[in-house]
Amino acid sequence: MTQPAPRYSRQDYHRLSVSGLTPVAKLVIAGALCLALVLLGGIQTGAVNLTWPEIWHGLAGEGSQHVQRVVLEVRLPRTLTGALIGVHFALSGWLLQLLSRNPLAEPGILGISAGASLVAVIAFILGDWLVSSDNPYSNTSFALQNLPVFAMAGGLVTAAAVYVLGLRHGNMSPVKMTLTGAVIAGMLHALTTGALAFWGHAHTELVAQWLAGSLYGAQWHHLHTLWPWTLAGLVGIALLLRPLKVMQLEDQQARSMGLHLNRWRGFALLIATLLAASAVGIVGPVGFIGLLIPHISRQLAGTNFPLQMTLCVFLGATLAVLADVIGRTLFAPYEVPVGVVSAILGVPFFLYLLSRQP
Amino acid sequence: MLRTENLFLSYGEKPAVQDVSLEIPEGGITCLIGPNGSGKSTLLKSFAGLLSPLSGQAFLDGRPVTDWNRRKLALRLAMLPQKPIVPDGIRVRDLVALGRFPHRKWWQGNCASDDDATAEAMAMTGVLELAERPVQSLSGGQQQRAWIAMALAQGTDILLLDEPTTFLDWGYQLEVLELLSSLNRRYGMSVVMSLHDLNQAAQFADRIAILADGQLQAIGSPQQVITETLIDAVFRVRTTVTVGSDGRPFCSGASTSVSTAPAIIH
Repeated sequence: MTQPAPRYSRQDYHRLSVSGLTPVAKLVIAGALCLALVLLGGIQTGAVNLTWPEIWHGLAGEGSQHVQRVVLEVRLPRTLTGALIGVHFALSGWLLQLLSRNPLAEPGILGISAGASLVAVIAFILGDWLVSSDNPYSNTSFALQNLPVFAMAGGLVTAAAVYVLGLRHGNMSPVKMTLTGAVIAGMLHALTTGALAFWGHAHTELVAQWLAGSLYGAQWHHLHTLWPWTLAGLVGIALLLRPLKVMQLEDQQARSMGLHLNRWRGFALLIATLLAASAVGIVGPVGFIGLLIPHISRQLAGTNFPLQMTLCVFLGATLAVLADVIGRTLFAPYEVPVGVVSAILGVPFFLYLLSRQP
Repeated sequence: MLRTENLFLSYGEKPAVQDVSLEIPEGGITCLIGPNGSGKSTLLKSFAGLLSPLSGQAFLDGRPVTDWNRRKLALRLAMLPQKPIVPDGIRVRDLVALGRFPHRKWWQGNCASDDDATAEAMAMTGVLELAERPVQSLSGGQQQRAWIAMALAQGTDILLLDEPTTFLDWGYQLEVLELLSSLNRRYGMSVVMSLHDLNQAAQFADRIAILADGQLQAIGSPQQVITETLIDAVFRVRTTVTVGSDGRPFCSGASTSVSTAPAIIH
């Protein structure tokens, strides 16, 4: 074979491996700025008009009781919880899209959201049955308080079932897993709807709000339930970065390169499930963030996995908080759930990005 | 080097390889040929330790491949599947760099020596100047060279390739085979590949193994195994085998020997 004269030399190769950092830094800074802005916006906007000095004093624990309560007990936990659930759904979707080789994958794909929803609804109904007093809120308070735990358990069990049923000769088959997940999610949705119809009480609206994905009434204890999972997810993904690259290859090729494919895939699925299920437990199923943000991050970051992951964190949090701010100000005093607004906000941007794709 | 002893392999219920005992010498080009479904790919996968045998064994350096540590095995042999999946949007240099995976622990990044090996592999296959191009934008032949570069970056002395020419046009087929041949001659790499074209196998191989219905029909030099009777028996094709100026056999004038069967030419 005749070798063509190398117009591109090894020096070029090594030089180029160092350059290209500037756009990466720009994207990270832009992402962080977006997040910082919406976090400030989340704290500033609300039913009570507060000036920045007032908010600042409130954050520092000074000023009137009322301002302190609004800032520290209502807006801050709600905004931070929103940011974290955005991170959870975005990272979970990112992992699932990679693992299933399916650009349409999102936390719903493994039935995580559906399983979490069904168990949560069952908990509501059981709570209503067991504690039957006249006040519907006290009837459901047990279910409400433990919702994260119930929903997470439901999500985990469903994801495990989909994973096992989606195996093919002991190996994970992305196609079979996607189909199994879709079918099981469909069945669980039907059961959830059926259970709600059967329940048929006035307080279904409480559940309906949760099912639409709402940050209404997010408290510090929600945040405390959530952040350990955020941390676990981030550490897990950091460990996964190198194996994930090889997992993009054909299964047997990846294994022939020394990757314990099933072990790593199982671990990645576990991380994705924990992230999604813990977030569903707090706000209900917010599927669109998990679908949109990974796409947007990939479009912006190219094939750079650490950058994709970082952008998922920043943009996921940004979209969730922004959607919540808009949802609670647009038709105040009524609230539009974060799941609804994030879909309405994200889709045009997503379509714009798709249209720019070569 | 690679050796099998009474190897039986199957996919589920269906036996794919039956009682195959063969030896693949070091530093040569070995071609596996045979009709579709004859067990060529299955045999290659078992060499890479991807399938557990029903009975019998495949050995590398005298040890069953399924006993090898996955990562250590990946440092001895690289495998290129028939239809590799190109990761979305990946550039040639990043694809080739993936070949360095077994050289580092999973938490480590690639270091300077990996970059050197990657650049070296791209230079060896002539894709260095395509380094910044997305793999998906390359021609079939260029893509195949990029995949071979990735396998080379793995730094093994054994290359297993499952039909590396199947989806290429004739010119690219020769280009890939010449590349593999030069890697074998210059660097002493052992190449084991399945091929469909008998004449290409005869031209490039030091050793040919013919498989049919999962069983080994013959193994030996091209002169020994490319014979009119064997080809008729295995492929149901009547040919005239002549000897070319390079001393290698050449099949011509092929026609199917079973007139009632539909003429399927692979």
